[in-house]
Amino acid sequence: MSKFADIQIDPGIIRRAASGDARGHEIIYRAFSAPVYSICLRFTQVPAHAEDLVQETFIEIMRSLAKFRGEAALGSWIRRIAVTKSLMFLRSAWTKRRQSLADDWDDMTPGEPVSHGISSHPDDALDLDAALANLPDVSRTVVWLHDVEGFTHKEIAALMGKTESFSKSQLSRAYQRLRPMLGVEADTQPDGAAIGSY
Amino acid sequence: MSNDRMDEDMICALTADEHVALQAGLRELPETMPPRAVWNRIRAQAEAEGLLQQPFARKRSTWYAATGLAAAALLATVLLQSTAELGGVIVPQDNLTNTVELSNLQTLMVESRRLESDLRALPTAPRVARAGTVATLSDIENRVAAIDYQLNDTEFYMTPGDREIFWRERVRLMNLLLQLRYAQAQRAAF
Repeated sequence: MSKFADIQIDPGIIRRAASGDARGHEIIYRAFSAPVYSICLRFTQVPAHAEDLVQETFIEIMRSLAKFRGEAALGSWIRRIAVTKSLMFLRSAWTKRRQSLADDWDDMTPGEPVSHGISSHPDDALDLDAALANLPDVSRTVVWLHDVEGFTHKEIAALMGKTESFSKSQLSRAYQRLRPMLGVEADTQPDGAAIGSY
Repeated sequence: MSNDRMDEDMICALTADEHVALQAGLRELPETMPPRAVWNRIRAQAEAEGLLQQPFARKRSTWYAATGLAAAALLATVLLQSTAELGGVIVPQDNLTNTVELSNLQTLMVESRRLESDLRALPTAPRVARAGTVATLSDIENRVAAIDYQLNDTEFYMTPGDREIFWRERVRLMNLLLQLRYAQAQRAAF
């Protein structure tokens, strides 16, 4: 689970915000603005778009907080709004480009190397960040939703309006591209000690 | 390609070790703060759409603020005196509540001060620290600063109940900060 789940807000502050209190909303914003902005930026790669999405997300929170029943954690609820807004943005952008949300791997050169000054050092977060940024939008989004936010393929498929196979396929292709970044010394071939959880 | 065949191919994409390394690497990536102007834009839009309560009239809020300041000054005097009588020693909360009848709000303020004192007593943060820890510490400090800003904002009236909520949140965050800094100091010691 991502950092959204680690953030706790006093129920009294949530109640104040739900009644329209600006201070309560500002406390919620201060607590969640970094994870929301980060996820929006991760998906869109453009700071100006991410800022707009943060604004849309928090305006939606202000509109809907009174309906928040607390059945799920506030962080999960906010994350869902941020993810939905970001995906809506990506889909609309693709529509403008007359592209479907199908598979933008076609935009990339087959066998294009991952390395843009990227080493294979496993601890180098900057390298992984760059490799992730180098993925097509859809695949990067699927990787993030699946491996960081903990969404299932079924949930990802529903969010994207696609099938589970589509989500799995995008993840698989992204893994193949990210694999050289991981630097894990494996004795066995990947098909010998593979994971079956996804 | 059938679905089964596709799944089989995907399972071959990463080994379990690689998958664990990937997930760990992704979760370690630092978060980014949005520019400060974003909140101002959100607030302006929310006010334009009537999503936020209108503050009290300025004249009334000024009166309330003056009363609040006077009460705060009085409270500070009482607290300083009690601290001085105790020889400047930070007294655990239990002792305070036994010797002086403090309201919840006052107790939270004393607790908050105790936590700040404990925090200052810790060794300075190590020069080299994990990016994730630094980001978390910075995030909590920002949130404490935001609460302080709200508590010191004299433009709006705040009921004692409201103040208590904010002070309780401040104490919770300070506790969190102290725990993280303590763990960091312990790691640095080894």
